[in-house]
Amino acid sequence: MKRALRWNMALAGVLFMLVALIVLPFWFVLTGSIKEPSEIIARTPTMIPQSFSLQHYVKLLSASDYPLYMMNSMIVATASTVITLLLAIPAGYAFFRMAFAGRETLYRAILLAYAFPSIVILIPLFGIFAKLGLIDTRLALVLVNVAFALPFAIWMLRSFFAGIPIEIEEAARLDGGAPLTVLRRIMIPLVAPGIAAVAVFTFVTSWTEYVFASVMILSDAKRPMPVGFSGIIGQYQIDWGLLLAGASLSILPVVILFAFVGRWFVAGLTEGAVK
Amino acid sequence: MTIPKRYSRLTGAALIALLPVSAAAQVDLTLWHMEQPPHRVERVQILLDEFNASHPEITVSQEPQNWGEVYAKAPAALAAGAGPDMLFAIPDFTPILKGIGALTSVEDFVTELDAVHDFNPSAVEAYSYDDGVWAVPLYNMSMNLWYRPSVLSAAGIDVPTTWDEWKAAAEALTKDGMYGMGLPANQQLYTDQTVYSVMANGGASEIYNADGSLNFDTPETVAAYSFYNDMLAFSPPDAASWTWGEAEACFASNSCAMIMQFSVISTYDTQAEGVASDLGVAAIPSKDGGDSNTIAYANAVMLLSQDDEKMEASKTFVRWLLQPENYGRFLNMEPGLFMPVTADGAAADSYWSDPMVEKYRGQIETVIENSQNGMLFGFTSGRVFPAISAISAQNVLAETLQAIAITGTDAAQAVTDGQARMQDLTE
Repeated sequence: MKRALRWNMALAGVLFMLVALIVLPFWFVLTGSIKEPSEIIARTPTMIPQSFSLQHYVKLLSASDYPLYMMNSMIVATASTVITLLLAIPAGYAFFRMAFAGRETLYRAILLAYAFPSIVILIPLFGIFAKLGLIDTRLALVLVNVAFALPFAIWMLRSFFAGIPIEIEEAARLDGGAPLTVLRRIMIPLVAPGIAAVAVFTFVTSWTEYVFASVMILSDAKRPMPVGFSGIIGQYQIDWGLLLAGASLSILPVVILFAFVGRWFVAGLTEGAVK
Repeated sequence: MTIPKRYSRLTGAALIALLPVSAAAQVDLTLWHMEQPPHRVERVQILLDEFNASHPEITVSQEPQNWGEVYAKAPAALAAGAGPDMLFAIPDFTPILKGIGALTSVEDFVTELDAVHDFNPSAVEAYSYDDGVWAVPLYNMSMNLWYRPSVLSAAGIDVPTTWDEWKAAAEALTKDGMYGMGLPANQQLYTDQTVYSVMANGGASEIYNADGSLNFDTPETVAAYSFYNDMLAFSPPDAASWTWGEAEACFASNSCAMIMQFSVISTYDTQAEGVASDLGVAAIPSKDGGDSNTIAYANAVMLLSQDDEKMEASKTFVRWLLQPENYGRFLNMEPGLFMPVTADGAAADSYWSDPMVEKYRGQIETVIENSQNGMLFGFTSGRVFPAISAISAQNVLAETLQAIAITGTDAAQAVTDGQARMQDLTE
């Protein structure tokens, strides 16, 4: 009994440290965003805000292009997510169901593409996009995001399709369902947790992508949030309140997305882990 | 056909014939600058709107960029034909664009502007090499020593003018949770700037010999690094990761008694006490109390268009911007940070009438005075060594400090290693 108690206390201690490690930075960012400037930079940081002010949010939303950057990010991340799903679902299903020469090799090659360091293709890709007239377009960012999210998405969805008993699909076929109908009416609802996991993964990676966006977007009006926001912060003189308010708002869409599909996302991750 | 009808048709035809000419006469220019904070973008836009209204044949639009990316982005964009017509620069950025053939000399234009506005010679010098002038100076930034007079007087300390006084002051002020001197040790540009400011005050300002060979590994450089490392003992422990913002926050929160910074005026006014009489600024102390030097960045604008019409329109814009009634308002997009590089700009009402500038006039006058002895590594004594761009891009000055302060390498060895690293990068 004593041993169990000690074990539980040790577990609770580790859990507490882990939660503190993850939650504390968010706590300081969120509470800092509503503090007066002098309190933000105070010599001793305050855990509980001693002042309250929305001035940083007002300044961020009224005197900067932050809302525009958020809108750009929303367009790019949503389009990237939708296109990735539209391509990954049939591709994952094809890798699972279709028999063709080199299927396994191609499947592994896709994962190799995922492991490829993206930074090395930045300049060549810039040249290609320049020739195609895609520089300074949101489409360029969508293409990049889809290209980097697709391998993982296909790999993950294939494992989900593989987990569905073959009898279900055969029964649907016997009832006269064409392959696409079977995919749409039977298989997709069954892999919904996997689709949710892929959607969240793609949205978050697109939402936070910085390197390609910083180089391929030239005009301020098309900048996504991470790049636009880094400019708002400034170099020599940092407005810490603005920084904290912007950082707080930037996680809002991801939090909302998790609120809608979070349960499926977790289910997707755990199911994917054992298949 | 009656005469009036014929006349009106002729007039109409003439107007139609002229239309393409009018359309062709309209010139659209894109300005890239790295002043991204919203209030600076807003100020630039106000000026652009005024210019565009007074010059209907030219439209200038701004696209703010980030210093962190522009070194890679600008060459790529220019190669792709999507670059700007005008691009702000600091001296070590210009050689990169000159190296890819994106620049043509604007020597005649700078001479013309100099005759009207009287440029600070050191600002032009930083862009004058290889038989040309490669950018038009716009504003100056120089490093200074900032402090609170009340803090120094409470400790019975005078403003330091020598290294010994500086060290003694930092030591005496390091108590009760306050650090005497906030100095960075990050491998980043800010550390390059503070290290060089110390070097320049210890007789180690010349990184190159006249023949272009490296002159970094000298006893003066070693002494400067040793002194800097000693001073780090009076800095907060997290100073090894600082950039400009953290140093300013340390000063604004009264955690650092002194810091080296271009300007703290804006932060001090908006995030700290904002009492003008208790903000002190001084020249950076020199080793033996002689003339004080400092690092100074003459920011400029490069004219990049290969099209004659666009180039002429760009010059029209720069001429307009440097007129004293516009220039002061341009500088005051960040009051107290950007200093004039022209004589008539330094005297302009548009500069001194800004409320923040009026409030901190004494400090700004000191900063302008300090900047007279401004210098920049690789651009000293009338000699310019474009190879410094590679050294600057890799932050070798800061890297050398890190070898001493973080890994504990002996200062003399670290400086020797630093020169070897510079040699590798230059080759």
